[in-house]
Amino acid sequence: MLEARQRVAPLVPDIDPGDLLLILQSLLRPIGTGRRFFLRRRDSGGYVF
Amino acid sequence: MSSDESFLQDVVAALDRVGLEAIVVGTVAAVLNGAPVMTQDLDLLLRDTPKNREKIGKLSAALQIAAPVEVSELSRSITLLGGALPIDILFDALPGGLTFEALRSRSSRVQIGDSAATVAALADVIASKQAAGRPKDLAQLPILRETERVRAALKGGRSV
Repeated sequence: MLEARQRVAPLVPDIDPGDLLLILQSLLRPIGTGRRFFLRRRDSGGYVF
Repeated sequence: MSSDESFLQDVVAALDRVGLEAIVVGTVAAVLNGAPVMTQDLDLLLRDTPKNREKIGKLSAALQIAAPVEVSELSRSITLLGGALPIDILFDALPGGLTFEALRSRSSRVQIGDSAATVAALADVIASKQAAGRPKDLAQLPILRETERVRAALKGGRSV
């Protein structure tokens, strides 16, 4: 992850460092490794994973 | 494997079992392309044929969920309810003139458990959301575009 960030960051200097880390974490984590991406609406009106 | 991934795996396996060719589109396609986004449903694009309409009923049965319902008289899409999450089924094309054939030609196969899903390219997800123009679609565009750029930089070593 850190290696990827160091390599990519200079190529996308306008992307916020926090966003870049979030994107890299997502890109480098394949499906099937416990990813969560669905929000479920509760009766109360809120959302949960 | 999370419950979200298990849900996807079940749907993809059921599509295989009933022989229904579908392209995963929308936000789940973006997720499967690596984008850090979330959604409330799964969107599938199918060709609108009598045979496929029949297979949608079989898909509902395979997933042990309710029969498909029309979302609106103004829309050709239908929704499968009663499962862990809603499955929206769209027909033939997405906003932006993105036809089933064009989307499939640029799609990739993503392994989910024992089955592989046909997944729309991230660039096509972005184009369809931009063309749809709904606030919830437009809100996702910045992070999807950044994901596309970072992915290109990771692969090719240069920015786009």
